[in-house]
Amino acid sequence: MTLTQRLLHDHAARRIIRARPELAQVRDLSTVDGLTAVQQDAGDEDTAVVAVVRRFDLVSWVRGTVAFAAGLNRRRAQEWRRAFTRTVFLAGNPANLTTRFDFAHVAETGAMAWTAPASAAAHRPLRRLLRTFPGTRDLTLGGDVVIDLPGEPPAEPMRRVLHLAGSGLTVAGALVHLGHLLVEAVLDGAISPGDRLTVRQLPRLVGVPGPFDALRVGVDPADPDRLHALMSVSREAGDD
Amino acid sequence: MSSPQATGADAQATGADAQATGADARATGAEASVRDPAVPATGRPRVLLAPVTITPTKPLTPSHLKGLFWTDVALRASRPLAEVTHRSSHTAFDACEQTLGFWEYLDRTVGDVDYSGLSGDVIGELYMRFRAAGERAPFHACLPYLEAIERHGWVHPASARLLELWAGQYHRLGLHDPGLTAHQPPRIGLAEMIDRLRRLGMCLDLRADGGPVFLDATRDGIPLRQIIAADGRPNYLACALRDLLPLAPEHDEVVLLHDRDLEPDYLLLHRVLAGLGPRVHRITLGRVPIDGRVTSARHGGWQQHGAEALLDEFGDRHDPAALRLGLRLYFIAVLGPGDHDSFRPELLDRYLAKARRLLDAAPDAGWSAVRDGLDAHRGAGAAHVDPYRLTAGLLNRRRAAPARELLTEVYT
Repeated sequence: MTLTQRLLHDHAARRIIRARPELAQVRDLSTVDGLTAVQQDAGDEDTAVVAVVRRFDLVSWVRGTVAFAAGLNRRRAQEWRRAFTRTVFLAGNPANLTTRFDFAHVAETGAMAWTAPASAAAHRPLRRLLRTFPGTRDLTLGGDVVIDLPGEPPAEPMRRVLHLAGSGLTVAGALVHLGHLLVEAVLDGAISPGDRLTVRQLPRLVGVPGPFDALRVGVDPADPDRLHALMSVSREAGDD
Repeated sequence: MSSPQATGADAQATGADAQATGADARATGAEASVRDPAVPATGRPRVLLAPVTITPTKPLTPSHLKGLFWTDVALRASRPLAEVTHRSSHTAFDACEQTLGFWEYLDRTVGDVDYSGLSGDVIGELYMRFRAAGERAPFHACLPYLEAIERHGWVHPASARLLELWAGQYHRLGLHDPGLTAHQPPRIGLAEMIDRLRRLGMCLDLRADGGPVFLDATRDGIPLRQIIAADGRPNYLACALRDLLPLAPEHDEVVLLHDRDLEPDYLLLHRVLAGLGPRVHRITLGRVPIDGRVTSARHGGWQQHGAEALLDEFGDRHDPAALRLGLRLYFIAVLGPGDHDSFRPELLDRYLAKARRLLDAAPDAGWSAVRDGLDAHRGAGAAHVDPYRLTAGLLNRRRAAPARELLTEVYT
């Protein structure tokens, strides 16, 4: 199995049906326009998570995101899902904020923190203090990054590969897309605490072998009628 | 489903609502009940008087003069009681983008000309043209200017000319010159400033991720404030921090004097400096409206009532001592700290005349009585003299006529 437009389309449609089945019924999900329109429709749900970032560090970010998602209660996770796991990334130092604000999770390094999903009004005091995290530099990994996900590992932890399409990916872009991908993969049980994740950066994901446990799909900047894969999670070869 | 361009750009934090209270007199405890906390156990208190530094890009307006007279009276009235350092370094603030941008604009649009004979008005017109153009040169175009300041203490000849003119005006107005034309670099560089803020837990440095540097007082509920842009451009607050961070710990008290519209930044500065040990006081002044309108110097405002115009209009009709005292009476006691009253030349003229009468009637009181009088005009828990209380007291008819020694020491 490899990436095709059909496969990308099915993944995108499945994501919508899982989060907002009622919206899926009123749009034609067989077209890119229909898929994109659902995103606009979902603006009625203002539940969001605020992620506070002092400094981007891939390992800490991935481990923290997985630990945060794994710790969410089912009801809150469901509300957040209805807003397509909308996340606002703000620049700030969690150490200066923990006395005034409750965070659902703070990264082990202290460089990042996540609030529980809540309404825009509930987040207003925190957003008033902080600014959008800029993250304009390109993300370049240099080589594979192996990350042991937090949590009690099962007897035989799964080894997975997380592929990133590196062409033009900024730190801000990585925060957004990696955040959605990891959180939804944890909520779907597609990755588990204790798994070992190898993050690998390629120019494009074309030719990456499936099957895919998770996919992050976007509109191809080169053609608005075409989809492309931004990130994927699959099992490492030989880890069956 | 998501656009690959999505960056979470909806995360626009709202504007600053930086209202913080700064406890002025922080010294408490048993010791304070038996001893004035503003006076150290040994020796005289050390006071750092640091008014906002006017960028040498335009002539001095009435609003500028107001700040200068308040500073001058605070300085001269406090000196008999404390070791006062008057810090107003142009070298430290030339690096801010307002000045660097003006210099870059001049060299790009005016070119190599002789500024040494130009009037302040002509240079001010160029500054208005620069601001009206609304251009913001890329930082790499300003960088050679920043390097020239850092390496050679270089000052653009347009600003050097203005500072030369100001020095002459300061002399005629009896203002203490804090070193207008002297090279007074801050003791630390930007990197050291950032490092010191970090040690205070008040720095959010996003440069590694392609972002700016923020002053971070969020633990006190104050929004992040950018001090260095993503391209490396320092702003006015960064210059102030770089100048004052190394000086503040060497003083028992820091007095900041600033325009009211800079209050959010000065509240932050207050908080940072207080964290280094000294008591910090702020003197906040409203600008002087002209015909009911408060405008920034970028729109002019010096042509009719600037320092040069006032000296031309009143300098010949009033003797130097009356001019100096009268201007201080008007800009401090009459206009007060607010911004309600428009500038009124005819009212100023009356106070210049009144100044002559006060000087003529001033009795010899003896220096020790004057010193005690100054001591009574210190603010609560402060080592410096409050310029408003002292000067307004000169106009109080129920009080004895002000002493000759006081007027000579502080006002003329």
